[in-house]
Amino acid sequence: MRMLAVFEKGERIRHIGHLDIQRSVQRGLRRSGLPVAYSNGFNPHILITFASALSTGACGTREIMDVTMAEEVSEEEFLERMNRAMPQDMQLSEARAVDQKHPALMASLRAAAYDLLIRDREMAEKLKAAIPSMMAKETVTAMRKTKTALKECDIKPLIYELKGEGQHILATMVLTEREACKPGMLIEALGKEAGIDEEIRMLVTRTGLLGMDPEGRLIPLERL
Amino acid sequence: MDLNDKIEKILEKVQKAPRYTGGEMNTEVKGWDECPLHFGFCFPDTYEVGMSHLGMKILYGLINRESWSLCERFFMPWTDMIALMEEEQLPLLSMESRHPLNAFDVIGFTLQYEMSFSNILAMLKMGGVPLESSERGETDPIVVAGGPCAFNPEPLADFIDAFMIGDGEDVMTELNHVILERKEKGLSREECLKKLAGLEGVYVPSLYDVTYNEDGTVAAVTPNCAEAPSTVRKRVVVDLNNTYYPEEFPVPYTEVIFDRIMLEIMRGCTRGCRFCQAGILYRPVRERSMEKLIDLAEKLLNSTGYEEISLSSLSSGDYSCLPELIRELMKRMKEKRVSISLPSLRIDSVLKESLEETQQVRKTSLTFAPEAGTQRMRDVINKGVTEEDLLGKVRDAFEGGWSSVKLYFMSGLPTETTEDLDGIADLARKVIAEYFNVPKTQRAKGLRVTVSVSVFVPKPFTPFQWAAQDTLEAIIAKQEHLRQVLNIKGVTFHWHEPYVSFLEACFARGDRRMGSVLKCAFEKGCILDGWNETFRYDLWMEAFRDCGLDPAFYAHRARTKEEVLPWDHIDSGVTKQFLWHEKEKSERAETTKDCRKGCNGCGLQRWKGVCSYANAGSV
Repeated sequence: MRMLAVFEKGERIRHIGHLDIQRSVQRGLRRSGLPVAYSNGFNPHILITFASALSTGACGTREIMDVTMAEEVSEEEFLERMNRAMPQDMQLSEARAVDQKHPALMASLRAAAYDLLIRDREMAEKLKAAIPSMMAKETVTAMRKTKTALKECDIKPLIYELKGEGQHILATMVLTEREACKPGMLIEALGKEAGIDEEIRMLVTRTGLLGMDPEGRLIPLERL
Repeated sequence: MDLNDKIEKILEKVQKAPRYTGGEMNTEVKGWDECPLHFGFCFPDTYEVGMSHLGMKILYGLINRESWSLCERFFMPWTDMIALMEEEQLPLLSMESRHPLNAFDVIGFTLQYEMSFSNILAMLKMGGVPLESSERGETDPIVVAGGPCAFNPEPLADFIDAFMIGDGEDVMTELNHVILERKEKGLSREECLKKLAGLEGVYVPSLYDVTYNEDGTVAAVTPNCAEAPSTVRKRVVVDLNNTYYPEEFPVPYTEVIFDRIMLEIMRGCTRGCRFCQAGILYRPVRERSMEKLIDLAEKLLNSTGYEEISLSSLSSGDYSCLPELIRELMKRMKEKRVSISLPSLRIDSVLKESLEETQQVRKTSLTFAPEAGTQRMRDVINKGVTEEDLLGKVRDAFEGGWSSVKLYFMSGLPTETTEDLDGIADLARKVIAEYFNVPKTQRAKGLRVTVSVSVFVPKPFTPFQWAAQDTLEAIIAKQEHLRQVLNIKGVTFHWHEPYVSFLEACFARGDRRMGSVLKCAFEKGCILDGWNETFRYDLWMEAFRDCGLDPAFYAHRARTKEEVLPWDHIDSGVTKQFLWHEKEKSERAETTKDCRKGCNGCGLQRWKGVCSYANAGSV
């Protein structure tokens, strides 16, 4: 069986990179004493995958791990033992036991929801005000960083939802193995629309990883 | 902008932010107001270095275990962070609760190597604590220090209020009790320091006056009050089984240098290598029992989730039941997929059998430390290892499937000649020959022999404490020679920066006047001297000139038998007489036997019941 579990990457540890988060989860699993499955081979490792890597500097409230178990464990027990074994900033909120044949999370991932706290109040107001005009446009260009260069791309079709709330910008955007609109690209485009030249400081929180149900609605990936 | 906003802002800009953010598994955040005593533990180097240090984990757990005391960690920020902190006017903050350094009642530095001394000044300054002991007032923290470099405390005497000499486990709590008393009963700073001086193993430098001879050598170090003992005897915890050892370690999120469980199987070493300071400072040898170690290993694995455990000590191969211990650990750890490593493997003691057992889980490169290239030189330094021993172990390793071997040597040892340097290359060639002697089908591919040659630094409390260090010219010439003779296929040659070793030698055997050089160099901008990219040799030499002191006086001068050494008022347990006797034997290339083969009378026999190999009748 596999266990899909929702966990948090708290604000204090938001600068930790994905590889280190992975290792911390693995050590947490080892501390928990839960019967996890190991790979065969010379350097055995825990069979675990993550739905999506979260950027260094970003927090996450509903990140998802997918752990292969060596023995059956109840969802309650998994949660309870993991929460005793994980640090304060990486607690789990949900666990769901699934069949070995359950599709891989990464392949089902369609979108992600973000909460972007704009550090400067005035900037937040300007950005919010620029949302309707930007969304009315045919195309919205932003710069996408590749390994070697900056590439121009149209992010308009990648935005499912965009709105302002207080000092926050809330966005739901495409995130798949092939393409993604990252918060930085969105805010860069929105800043341009709002006529902001200075650097826009923000706190990025990924609030959900989403898949698509048969009716074409975005729903939390772990419930798919 | 409030404090947290400022911190967030600089964390977005700084490199390697996780080294400043804390929150690691098993780090304590105790209620600041519920604990009357606040201990700020400072590691005077970066997070990655500090989090690899066992002593810090022990004392961190020990202080936090008490209901009345809390311990929080401080590390030396990197240069980019220092600049950002200055810009935002942020003080040095603790990893746990983000309190500034000067909010703590007591600040403790661990002194692991001389090249971290300037970081102590930097951390005090960033933490808002007056640099010099004499400038600190009634509301300032008490600044203490311990660790191997505390055995010659003089270069830091101006900056540290009290030194803890020897094993820290017992004296730490006693010291904290006195500091608590200062806080609760309102003891004056002076009263508190005098009380501290009364604890065994505590040295309060301000209670001693130093006089000098005309030639610049020390005339005397004399107590200036009744509370200060004329010699300070190091602390020894006699029974390791009944001494605190943490059952959980903080687990860093990011990779640090030693990112695994360190299980201290024993303390001390009976070998008596004459260059080795630790071999004297950590005497006598004390072992933890197998039952205790297995219990600790299981608890630590459960609390940390680490996948690797290393058996640590100065000479793990000498642990009396090592094969049994390894076998037992392997048996219990196999299911948890834990690998076991022996870091300071001695070439003459680990059984082939245990080598085979460790590779059962993971194979890494093997390290051997012959230290010198010829038998004569090895006899001078009393490294009781022969070429046959070394080659035998290397053969075992190659037959066991290893193909990567590291060899550690020192250059600049007393009496060293070109022949001894050539011996290093000969030994490397013989190691390579052993590899090719193993049939091709039986050996692992990719032979790699790494030869590392460090520069010898004479240290206090060793038989070489009277010796002159080679001059820079001599060291550079020797390194050039080594580079030529070690130009062998399959061999990688590493050497150490001679300038750093030169400065290290000045501090290792420095007197109180070195404090002025340290302060002057720090004011010129010297920090993080242990790092190539930040080490400023030119500024250090300027500081010596400004202070009117000659570095050669400390590094390149041979001392006489009669000279009062700056650390003579510290009693390491080993007598000066024994060390001199060892020095004379070294000049005749005479060896001294391992203590386990009979007491050599190093001086510890004077302390009843401390050393299990001591013979009270020996000289």
